[in-house]
Amino acid sequence: MNALAEKFAEQDVGSIFIYTHEAHPGENVPHLASMEQKFRHARLLRDELGVTRPILVDALDGACHLAYGSMPNMTWIFARSGLILYKSDWTDAHSVENAIEYFSQVPARRKAGERLAGFRVERLDYRNQERDLFYKRLERNGQKALIEFKKAFPSG
Amino acid sequence: MTDLVPRYNYDSFVPEKFEPCLNFDSSPKTGTMAPDFPLWQLNEAETRLGELLKQHAYTIVEFGSFT
Repeated sequence: MNALAEKFAEQDVGSIFIYTHEAHPGENVPHLASMEQKFRHARLLRDELGVTRPILVDALDGACHLAYGSMPNMTWIFARSGLILYKSDWTDAHSVENAIEYFSQVPARRKAGERLAGFRVERLDYRNQERDLFYKRLERNGQKALIEFKKAFPSG
Repeated sequence: MTDLVPRYNYDSFVPEKFEPCLNFDSSPKTGTMAPDFPLWQLNEAETRLGELLKQHAYTIVEFGSFT
């Protein structure tokens, strides 16, 4: 997603990351209990996982995250006006790239004389699960996080 | 808010704790306007989602955490 942000930055596409709550808390990275802790964990995301996009921290009660569906790693795309253009319950760079390329063409199409009206579309996209990386990250959170995930989803 | 904070920031990834938070199906629809909320930069300065969206023709917003 960092690469995607860089690729489209010159086309007036902004990219931000909203820090939510700990989806898989463990001994090393426990659940959040204060805003000070939330800022520390958000900086860890930048410094250890290399998120280069601006990171914005949500309120401790997750007001923004809950209003948008509270999925652990979802992506939305908005127009400057605040119009919601795309919502995805998981994040996949290919899906987001496909969408932003489509939306980026709309102004040019309108300029060329097309009379465009919005409509809703629903489709099933596919994401790479990257299981090995995911399990390594659970271990980084702590054994508790790994054990709880395997118990909740025995088939992985 | 005091009750919501520990429920939202659950201490264990067990279905009875994480499932009540998930409400994507009832989240705002595409084609409607984005609800606005305060957000904080890493330097702890307050801003708003709506203000951030005004800065670009399109804005990609990823939600997530370290874990």
